[in-house]
Amino acid sequence: MKNELPPFAPGIFRLNGAGTPPVLLGSRCPDCGRHCFPACDLCPDCLGTPASVELGSSGRIYSHTVVRTKPPLGLPAPYAVGYVDLVDCGLRVFALLDPAQIGRFSIGLPVRLAVAALGNDGHGEPRLRPYFTADLA
Amino acid sequence: MTEVHVIGVGMTPFQRAAREDLAGLAREAALLALRDAGLPPAEVGGGFFANVLGPQLTGEMTAGQFVMATVGVRRVPIVNVENACTSGSTALWLAVNGIRSGEFDVALVIGAEKMSVPGLGLLHGGSAEIETQLGLVMPASFALRAIRYQHEFGATERQLAEVAVKNRRHAAHNPLAQFRDPVTLEQVLASPLIADPITRLQCCPMADGAAAAVLASGRVARSRQRAVRVDAAVLCTGSYENPADLVRWETDRRGCQMAYERAGIGPQDLDVVECHDAFTIAEILHTESMGLCGPGEGVRLVEEGATALGGRIPVNVSGGLLSRGHPLAATGCAQLVEIVQQLRGEAGARQVEGARVGLAECMGGDQSADAKSCTAIVVSR
Ligand SMILES: [Zn+2]
Repeated sequence: MKNELPPFAPGIFRLNGAGTPPVLLGSRCPDCGRHCFPACDLCPDCLGTPASVELGSSGRIYSHTVVRTKPPLGLPAPYAVGYVDLVDCGLRVFALLDPAQIGRFSIGLPVRLAVAALGNDGHGEPRLRPYFTADLA
Repeated sequence: MTEVHVIGVGMTPFQRAAREDLAGLAREAALLALRDAGLPPAEVGGGFFANVLGPQLTGEMTAGQFVMATVGVRRVPIVNVENACTSGSTALWLAVNGIRSGEFDVALVIGAEKMSVPGLGLLHGGSAEIETQLGLVMPASFALRAIRYQHEFGATERQLAEVAVKNRRHAAHNPLAQFRDPVTLEQVLASPLIADPITRLQCCPMADGAAAAVLASGRVARSRQRAVRVDAAVLCTGSYENPADLVRWETDRRGCQMAYERAGIGPQDLDVVECHDAFTIAEILHTESMGLCGPGEGVRLVEEGATALGGRIPVNVSGGLLSRGHPLAATGCAQLVEIVQQLRGEAGARQVEGARVGLAECMGGDQSADAKSCTAIVVSR
């Protein structure tokens, strides 16, 4: 049901159905190898034409924080964000972290991508957003 | 190459809900700078007006020409400048290069901002849409640097908070700063958390205000006893490398290094520094980028009092953004005003004894874990 909501933006992640984790989408330049997230249509290094690629769903936390000001876009109060190093492509991406796991994040913690209704579109309509969650004991 | 000097400076009080509007604030600072220079406005050959929010809040364009006309600067080239928090220092950079090129001998630079307006929310620094959509607000981007810094170097929250205590202690002697009452470490740590571990008293407050400077070629400045020479003015832009190192800020280091090379000095030659302490962790990272100490040593520098008034290399003796407040486009000019007053020996109770060489460092904008803009200006006397 909740996965029928529209994503907050197109082309950021792909849902793979039950049993398979969602993946982040990006691009890779065939000429110089540069990865981009989100995907770009012009390589910012060599102006080549990047191809769409999956950037995987697993990473490690590089840094994290909890934002306690009035949240923008209907995000939960408080909400957690971080930089996550993606295992498959080495990109360091800014991302939401699981709001249910606030207080349990640490640098180096392995995390995986999840997608759920999180925040809105700026006009109060709920939207799907990707976030990273940890398999905590 | 043509020498460039600062021959006049002025600034308004930085405060919440100033009575004057943007143009009024800008005019006041400009008049102070022109009078300080003792120069008729007809001598000004170029004008640079820095402002960030005006066009977006009021829809008004070319505010610079309007303001400059009210202080007698007409007919000459005038440019409106927006470069986020470095707007004011970018305007200075343009003026320095205009004088060096021979285009004009005297330039008036104004940075002004009116932020006390209804409905102004948290500023997001012009982040890419995706990052904003995922909740990146300015305090968060510095909190992420702070947590990483603590992880790599074992710095404590108390050590970071010391910056706010120091800069507020400095501000007691700056009548133009918004907050001049001292704060204790306990008060800083007990103020509400904004983004862990950054508390409210570790974030620069908004302000209305303006600052201005009159710059002149060596030919015009020659006979002036109070002139302060510009040895280097650098403007550079982020590299947006991925992965970015959040605690060794490459863009910041590159900008400062370039300024040292052009000025023919090193960090050990500095007597006084103003830097972009938008958050406590920012000052720590900047002191390391400026080479005042090695990576991870910034917190010790504060703890030992090296960056306090009376220490080895005082940083933000004006009170910094943390105490002055941060009227975006005015900040870069206010930093230069402070350094110039210090080098002239006119800084009163916050005077750094015998200050001869100063650096003003500023950063602005936020994209892909980098700053979009960085300025470093070295001046000496
Ligand atoms: Zn490429």
